[in-house]
Amino acid sequence: MAKEFRCCHWPNTVFDRAQQIPTVPGASEPRKSRLKKAPELPILERRNWLIHLHYIRKDYETCKAVIKEQLHETKGMCEYAVYVQALIFRLEGKIQESLELFQTCAILSPQSVDNLKQVARSLFLLGKHKAAVEVYNEAARLNQKDWEICHNLGVCYLYLKEFGKAKEQLNNALQLNRHDLTFMMLGKIHLLEGDIEGAIEVYKRAVESSPENTELLTTLGLLYLQLGVFQKAFEHLGNALTYDSSNYKAILAAGSMMQTHGDFDVALTKYRVAACTMPESPPLWNNISMCFFGKKKYVAAISCLKRANYLAPFDWKILYNLGLVHLTMQQYASAFHFLSAAINLQPKMGDLYMLLAVALTNLEDPENAKRSYEQAVIFDQCNPLVNLNFAILMYNQGDKKEALCQYQEMERKVNKLKESTAEFDPEMVDMGQKIGAALQVGESLVWTKSSKDSKIKQRPPTPCIQQQPLGSNQALGQAMSSAAGYGKIMHLPTGGVGLSQFSKPPSLPLEPELGPDETIANSSAIHDHERRKE
Amino acid sequence: MTSSLGAVRGVQHRDEREPVSVERSNETNSKWLDAHYDPLANLYTFSSCTALLDLHRDGEAKLVVGDLGTGLCNMKLKVYKGTSLMTENALLDLPTGVVTFLMDQNEPRTPAVAVASGPYIYVYKNLRPYFKFTLPALDVNLLEQDVWNQAKQDMIDPMTLKEMLEGIRDKADVPLSVRSLRFLMLEQEEMESFVNLHKHHPIKRQTVITCMGTLKKNMADEDAVSCLVIGTESAEVLILDPEAFTILTKMNLPSVPAFLDVTGQYDVEFRITMACRNGSLYILRRDSKRPKYCIELSSQPVGLVRVQKNIVVGCSEETLHAYTQKGKKLWTVYLPSSITTMGLLDQKSRGFQAVMVGLASQEVHLYRDKNLLNIIRTPDVVTSVCFGRYGREDNTLIMTTKGGGLIIKILKRTAVFEEKDTSPGPPLAQGVKLSVPKKTKLYVDQTLRERENAVAMHRIFQADLYRLRLMAARAYVKALEGSVAPISSVQQEPLQMNAVVQGIGPKFKLTLNIQNTSINHPSIHLLISFLYDERLYSMENSFFKIPLLVPGLNYPIETFVDCLSDKGISDLIKVFVLREGKSAPLLTAHINMPVSEGLAAA
Repeated sequence: MAKEFRCCHWPNTVFDRAQQIPTVPGASEPRKSRLKKAPELPILERRNWLIHLHYIRKDYETCKAVIKEQLHETKGMCEYAVYVQALIFRLEGKIQESLELFQTCAILSPQSVDNLKQVARSLFLLGKHKAAVEVYNEAARLNQKDWEICHNLGVCYLYLKEFGKAKEQLNNALQLNRHDLTFMMLGKIHLLEGDIEGAIEVYKRAVESSPENTELLTTLGLLYLQLGVFQKAFEHLGNALTYDSSNYKAILAAGSMMQTHGDFDVALTKYRVAACTMPESPPLWNNISMCFFGKKKYVAAISCLKRANYLAPFDWKILYNLGLVHLTMQQYASAFHFLSAAINLQPKMGDLYMLLAVALTNLEDPENAKRSYEQAVIFDQCNPLVNLNFAILMYNQGDKKEALCQYQEMERKVNKLKESTAEFDPEMVDMGQKIGAALQVGESLVWTKSSKDSKIKQRPPTPCIQQQPLGSNQALGQAMSSAAGYGKIMHLPTGGVGLSQFSKPPSLPLEPELGPDETIANSSAIHDHERRKE
Repeated sequence: MTSSLGAVRGVQHRDEREPVSVERSNETNSKWLDAHYDPLANLYTFSSCTALLDLHRDGEAKLVVGDLGTGLCNMKLKVYKGTSLMTENALLDLPTGVVTFLMDQNEPRTPAVAVASGPYIYVYKNLRPYFKFTLPALDVNLLEQDVWNQAKQDMIDPMTLKEMLEGIRDKADVPLSVRSLRFLMLEQEEMESFVNLHKHHPIKRQTVITCMGTLKKNMADEDAVSCLVIGTESAEVLILDPEAFTILTKMNLPSVPAFLDVTGQYDVEFRITMACRNGSLYILRRDSKRPKYCIELSSQPVGLVRVQKNIVVGCSEETLHAYTQKGKKLWTVYLPSSITTMGLLDQKSRGFQAVMVGLASQEVHLYRDKNLLNIIRTPDVVTSVCFGRYGREDNTLIMTTKGGGLIIKILKRTAVFEEKDTSPGPPLAQGVKLSVPKKTKLYVDQTLRERENAVAMHRIFQADLYRLRLMAARAYVKALEGSVAPISSVQQEPLQMNAVVQGIGPKFKLTLNIQNTSINHPSIHLLISFLYDERLYSMENSFFKIPLLVPGLNYPIETFVDCLSDKGISDLIKVFVLREGKSAPLLTAHINMPVSEGLAAA
C-alpha cells in the first residue's frame, strides 16, 4: 500500500524517491537545475509544534527526545527547541543550565520578549532579584502591556523589600489582567506591611473576580478572623468549604471558630474530613484534642495532643495544651515537664509561667512557684488571672503584703479590661471576691458589672470550690482547668502570628480558658502563615 | 493486526448483546460498551490527527489516523474499518493535523482527507493523492538578499559574509533564512564549499503548519463545502479556498497557534479561536485582520473545545476554564490530574454535548458545563479522543493511548447522562471515625499513681536529674583531665583522631586518621601506643613514632592486628597518642574490635 503512494504523481509537484529526508524539494525548483542542485535545508521549526504538544502535556521524556533529534538536525539552531529544553531543565531544578540555554536563545533571537522573560525568571529563581528586575525592565521596554512582566516585577520588588514599587507593578498587572496570583501577591505585601485592612480589600476584589477560588476565600476568611470579624470570616470560610469540602485550611479555621462557640461535635465532624486529607498535621490534632478537652474526654485529649506533639515536638502551643490538660488531670509532675519544655521553646509568655507556677504549687515547691509567678508578672500585660493566682499563693504563704500588691495589680487589669466589655469568668470573680475579703480590702466594686453579666447568662454548673483554706492551690488548679471546659468565649485573640498578639492588648477575654482556645486559634493562624509562605 | 476480537459485530451491527469486554469498567452499570481494545495498535497520534468519515459513501464510517510513526520515520496515514486496519499510506513527514471536508459539489459527494505536514497540505480523495498545497514562502530580508547576491558575484569572501549576516541577525525585524542561519553555524573550512553550493539559488523562507481546521464556506449544512483553516509557525492564520486552494484570507496572531477551533461560515460570519504558545487565546472574526478578543490564561492551554457558543480550554495547571465568545470567564474546574487531550462529545440524537478530558491519571472525564458526568477508566494514558459515527454506530468513542493502543467504546443507546447536583454533599471522609490512639489500662493506672504521688515523683526526678548532671559534669572533667577523648584539648597540641577497622579477621587493618587542627603549629615528637589483651590480639608493632604533622592535613596511619582467638569473642583496643617524655596521653581512642569471622591464625 505504501509503495503505491510513492509512485503516484502529485498534481503540482513530484516527489523525489531517492530523498529520504522528510523535506521535499521546493515547488519552485524545477528539474532543470540538475547539474548543481543544492541539498534542501530542513526548516528549522518543523517540529516545534510536536515539541510544544509534548511539553504542555508534561510528557517531558518524549519531549526531550524530540528536542534532541531536532537540535541534532539543526545543529542547535532551533530556538524553540532550546527554549523548551531550558524550560524542562528549570522544571527539573537545573536552573543554572537552563539559564545558560536561555542565554543561547537570546543570541539566536535577541528581540524575543519571551526569552528575556524566561532569563529573568531563571535569575529570579536563583535569587538574583536585582538582575531579574533589570532583565524584566528590558523586556517591558519591548512589550509594554504584558501582565506577566508586571506581575513578576512586582514579585521581584517584593523580595527586594521595595514594597511601594512592588505594589505599583502588581496594580499595573491587575489593570492588564486580573489574575488570582497577582491578587495573592498584592495581599501578601499588605500583610507584610502589617496592613490587614488593605489586604482584605485586595482579597475582596480577588474574590469578586473569581468567586470560586477556595484559596482566596480561605485567606480572606482567615484575615477577617484575625480582625475579629467573625460573621464575615465564617461566611467566607463556609463558601470555601462549599466549593471544596475537603479544604484543609478552611476546615481548620472554621473548626476553630466552632470550637470557640462550643460546637465541639460539629467541629469534630469537620475535622474528620481534614484528618483524612492531612492525617499528619500537628495543628489539626491539637484542635481535635481541644475539642475532646471541651467535651471533658481528657484521655482522648491527651492521646491526640501526644500525637500532635510527636508530629511537631517543637511546637510550644501543643506543649502548653499538654501542660494544661495534665494540670486538669492533676498529673502535676507530667504537667511540669510539658510546661517547662514549652517555656524552653517560648520563654516570653506570662501564661506559661503562671501554669508552671500552678504546677509547682501543687508539687509543694512554693519557692520555685513564687519565682515562676514573678516571671509571669513580668511578661504578662493584661491577664488578671496571673496576679490573682499569685496573690492566692502569697496569701497562703502568709505574705499578705505581697498578696495585696498583686491583688491591686489584678484590679487594675480588670478595670482596664472592663472598658472593652469583656465578660469575666464567674469562677475567677468568685475567687477574686474571696481573696479580697480575706485581705480585708472589702467588697471591691471591681466585679459588679461583670458579675451581673455573668448572672444573666446561662452557665453550666461550676464545680464547687473548697471554702477553706481560701483559694487552695488544689481549687485553683481545678478552676483553671474546669473553666477551660466551658469554652464559651466569643473573642479570639486577633494578633498576627506567634508572639505578636500577646504584646498587643486587644480585647483578650478575661477568662482562664483563654489558654486552649487561644492556642487553637494561634496554631491555625501559624499554620496558615506557613502555608502562605510556600 | 494482532488482536481481532469478537466485537467486530458489535461495532458494525448493533446488537445489544454485551460484546467481549476487554477492559472491565469499574462501574457495573457503565454507560459504555467496550467494543475493541488493541494495546499493540502502535499508534502515535494526537486528537488533531484523528478523524471519522464515511470514506466510500457506503454508510459505514471509517477512522482516519495520521500516525507519527516513531516520531522520526514510518509516518503513515492509517484507515481503520471496524476493528481492523484497512489501508495505510506512507507520509513523508510528521502529520500535524488530519481533517475531512467536502471540497466541491460534485457527485458522489465523497469527503476528502487533508493531511497537514510541514509546509504542505496533502489532499486525498478516495484515499488517492489528489492535490498538494504548499504554503507561500515568507518575505526574505532584503539586506540578506543583497549580501547573498554579493556573495554570488564573488564580491565578498565567506568571512565577510558571515560578519554581515551576523549584523543583520542582531538587528533585523525579518529573521534570516535557514541557509544563512546554517551558514553562521559552520566552521571556517566548510564555509567556502557551502557558499559555492548554495549561492546560485534564490533564498527562501518557509514556515510550517502547526494546526488545521475546517470552516463551512457558505452553508451550515452537514454536507456543505468547507474551507481549510490553518495556523502556521509564522503566527499567521490562513483560510484556503476548497476548490482552487488559493488563500482567501490571511490574519496575523501575536504568537504561534497550537490549537484552533472554528465556527460559522466563511461568507457570512465566523469566529476562529486560537490557543497560542504564549498561553493566550485569541478570537478572530470575519472582518478583522487582528484578533478581536484576547484571553490570557495563567498557564499553557492543552486543549480547546467549543460547546455551543462557549469555549472550554484545558490548562496545564490542571484546570478547565470556560469562556464566552467575548472572552468573559464563566467557570473553572480543578482537575485531579494533568490533561493530556480534550475532545467534544456530540450526541446528535439527543442534542447532547459535553467535553471529554483525557487525564494523566488514566481516566477520561466527561464534563457538561462544570459538572462531572462520567468517568471512563482506561488501561493507559489517553493521548487522543474522538467521538462520532464509526462503522454503523453513531455514538462511538475512539481513543488512542500513550503506549500506542487503540480503544473503541460505544455509548449504550439507553445511556442518559444525568445532570447531577453541583454540590456533592458532605464528603465521604466525614463519616470516617477519627483514629484516636487508645490508652491502655496500664496508662490509666500510672495516671492514678501519679495523682497520688506527684510530689514524691517530682522530687525524686529532680534529685536524679541533679545527680545525672553532676555525674555528666564529673565524667567530662575527668575525660578532659585524663586526655581520654579523641580530641586533644591541650593548647599546644590540638589533635584529632579517628580510627577505622577493616577486614573480617583474623587479620584486621587498623587505620588511624590523625589530624593536626592548629592553624600554623606543626606537631613533632609524637608517639602512638596500643593497649590490648595479649591473649586475644597480637600486633607487630604496638608502639611507634609518628612523623611530623603539618596543620590541616589528614595522616592515615595503618597497622595490622591479628586476632588469636577463634571463640568468636572480641575486645577493646585502646590507642594513645603520646608526647615524647610524657606519660599522660594527649588523646585516647577506644576501638571496639569486630568479632573475627575468619579462622584464627595457626
